[in-house]
Amino acid sequence: MGHVQRAFESAGIPTVGIYIAAFEHVPRLMGVSRALVTDHPLGRPVGAPGDHDRHRDVVRAALELFESPSCPAIATFPHPYRTGH
Amino acid sequence: MTETNSGTPPETFEEFRNSFFYGSRSNLDFKFLTELDAPEASEFFTELLTQLSRTMDDGNAGRLIEHARRWQQRAYGSHAEEKARFRYDDVPHAPLKKKLSDARVALVTSSGHFAEGDDPRPFGVEDMTQAEAEARIGEFLRVEPTLSTIPTGTAPGELRVRHGGYPVAAARLDHNVVLPLRPLLELAAHGVIGELSPTAYSFVGATSQLRLRETVAPVWAEALRADQVDAVLLVPV
Repeated sequence: MGHVQRAFESAGIPTVGIYIAAFEHVPRLMGVSRALVTDHPLGRPVGAPGDHDRHRDVVRAALELFESPSCPAIATFPHPYRTGH
Repeated sequence: MTETNSGTPPETFEEFRNSFFYGSRSNLDFKFLTELDAPEASEFFTELLTQLSRTMDDGNAGRLIEHARRWQQRAYGSHAEEKARFRYDDVPHAPLKKKLSDARVALVTSSGHFAEGDDPRPFGVEDMTQAEAEARIGEFLRVEPTLSTIPTGTAPGELRVRHGGYPVAAARLDHNVVLPLRPLLELAAHGVIGELSPTAYSFVGATSQLRLRETVAPVWAEALRADQVDAVLLVPV
């Protein structure tokens, strides 16, 4: 997805990506503009199934990076993975 | 190496841990075991059983999830810099030209979702199963990806997902774990974003990275521009 992110930015389309912590090196090495890193396992980057509150909070935190003045803007979602919600 | 009575050589520990990576015990949650060396893999299993013993007494399965998650991070994160196929020093950057609360946001994921009736039919195969997608992962990695168009109003029951590169079970329980349409619609309803673009896109991220970079992604950018989106949320897997 790093190449997609770079291509979109080069075409003038601002992007933000949600990456899992296991791949936190990807946005850094690929030179992507904005990334939110979640402490979630492979296949559940936005949260566990059914955890609607977490999904909303993660998506919102990612979108808020559009308003960050720094570039690249790479932030870590501050809450650990959870299930049963 | 000694032979068993059946004449089949005994499986080595290396063969055992590699079998979770598209082998006889293929399990995409644990395909990272192939990234570990033998002492690390031994440590993983030993600790797993210790944690399982504790869980038998107190029922706290959270530590098992934590164990898997921590080792995923350790396996994929170790030597990541040396193993990286691509790295770039520049950072292409397009600023958001309006307030987020006025912006039309689109969703693009590499999760391998598509709408029912719109199967991308990889390699011309009708209704390819998840098992076949995993078995043919090497072929996926050599060809360019197909971009599936998903109307954002698609009913959850009409979403399909197939991807040979990651465990799709969670996405099948709830597509929002990797295709977060519901939270984006909620944030649009609450005015956090202006609107969700009516078309979302998804592709199988296990694909030819060179073709993605050279030919495919720039064409996709034109499609997003035609959709008049102001910003894109990307969810890689």
